[in-house]
Amino acid sequence: MTKIELKGVSYLYGGKTPFEKKALNNINACIEAGSITGLIGHTGSGKSTLVQLLNGLLRPMEGQVLLDGRDIWEKRARMRDLRFKVGLVFQYPEYQLFEETVEKDIAFGPKNMGLSDEEIRHRVADAAKFCGLDQRLLKKSPFELSGGQKRRVAIAGVMAMTPEVLILDEPAAGLDPQGRSDIFGGICEYRRKTGATVIIVSHSMEDIARYCDRVLVMSKGQVWAEGSCDEIFNRADELEAIGLDIPQIARFVRMLKAEGVDLGDNLYTVGEVYRALIPYFKGGDGGAS
Amino acid sequence: MSKFIEIKNLNFSYKGDEGESIPVLHDINLDIAKGEFVTILGRNGSGKSTLAKIINMILTPDSGEVIIDGKNIAVELSDKELMAVRRRVGMVFQNPDNQLVATIVEEDIAFGPENLGIPSAEIRQRVDDALETVGMTEFARHSPHQLSGGQKQRIAIAGIIAMLPECIIFDESTAMLDPKGRQEVMDTIEKLNREKGITVIAITHNMEEAVRGDRIVVIDNGHIVKQGKPTEVFADPYELWDLGLAVPQVTELFDMLRCLGADLPESIITEEEGARVLARLLKNK
Repeated sequence: MTKIELKGVSYLYGGKTPFEKKALNNINACIEAGSITGLIGHTGSGKSTLVQLLNGLLRPMEGQVLLDGRDIWEKRARMRDLRFKVGLVFQYPEYQLFEETVEKDIAFGPKNMGLSDEEIRHRVADAAKFCGLDQRLLKKSPFELSGGQKRRVAIAGVMAMTPEVLILDEPAAGLDPQGRSDIFGGICEYRRKTGATVIIVSHSMEDIARYCDRVLVMSKGQVWAEGSCDEIFNRADELEAIGLDIPQIARFVRMLKAEGVDLGDNLYTVGEVYRALIPYFKGGDGGAS
Repeated sequence: MSKFIEIKNLNFSYKGDEGESIPVLHDINLDIAKGEFVTILGRNGSGKSTLAKIINMILTPDSGEVIIDGKNIAVELSDKELMAVRRRVGMVFQNPDNQLVATIVEEDIAFGPENLGIPSAEIRQRVDDALETVGMTEFARHSPHQLSGGQKQRIAIAGIIAMLPECIIFDESTAMLDPKGRQEVMDTIEKLNREKGITVIAITHNMEEAVRGDRIVVIDNGHIVKQGKPTEVFADPYELWDLGLAVPQVTELFDMLRCLGADLPESIITEEEGARVLARLLKNK
């Protein structure tokens, strides 16, 4: 089932000035309900403009953005609901924390939704859990926390509104490897528990291969391709031509093939490559000789 | 090789809100040779950026010595002496949008040398050389905002090169870039080190980047906990995971295969070498 559909969407910055720039040009795309979709593309390819169109921060100059089949701009009055339904986590969201305590910061969104205190408490507790935030941290000031913790508080603040669509722009940028996997683990957990549709913007092909079901590739303001990780990362040479790449381990598989060992297609994570290699070392079928 | 940077018994702490001191670096001892390429790894908050800022004299240590080319910079220096050190050790930061000041690329690169009071003919020469080194000559007259992230970072690097530094510190300079931009900047860093002999200190969370250096220094909780060649440091994935870090994907795969009894070396950190070694093993089975 389609959750979000973009129909002929175009967007222009600096229209009617000498600096006019077409950021998005006739975008057509569907985002599957309940999927985790990776949004990739080189700098300036239009990813950030696209995500802002999805929750109504920007209005398309041409075309329509449909959520559950309805144009999000159909009635202005519905825009408030839309913002609760489609949660957007910006890049470096930790700079947006402002409350006295972590708990209050996470509760800010649910409070604005007019929920009961009881419900808000539940929401905050759940969101903190998804993001791996210890109960003890809730009473602290967000400004006492480390960068990685602040990032998780900011993401929890959006999760606490339990959006049906959760969009995150580079949620792990600047974090250490442990911090990265904690963040992505929390996002997967949120999807599993709520059935939400998730869109993740990332420059890390390794993370995309590991956590995403679908990939949407942008280039020069247009949708270059949409498909499963297998379908997209199969096109390694073309991806490189538009400033992208394939996961490190997939490059290894290609090199191994050049050395005369063909493990087959669709191997884009360490786990997948490992499983393909097991028969070679267990003396089972598929010996290389 | 002669030492370019010597750090002896260095301690540093930040002042907290109530005036209490929050220790960040404890008893750091580290030598960096002229022309060396050292990568610093460590989880968020481990103290690695603080160390970089001390070497660049943005911060002053509480105690210990920081000797750059024979001169201890951890003591009170006159402004003139301070400038002299800063010129020799340049720094490139994370965000490509925060480091460019002028509206034309070549003017941005000229900003540093102009402040040093260098004659204009020589500035011209330095700017041209710097642009060529980072492969951005054709963009000399462009406006920085028209450039991609990787290109902006290369202009930031050119601005540092134009000061003719002997050492450049890269503080997560590729973290915000797309794959192509990251590649461009990593290639530029490697070129500066190999061809121009510039001492490189690179702070990163990207293990593929760390593979490229001569030596890796791992900092945790303000202490140096591990150092050595990349092949040595990445030999034990479990130790790195405990430190909140990771190993290159191919190193992780080889570790898993060794658990299956595969006779594979621990020192594989690049895909090229890994593919060669594994293909040879499988063909001889």
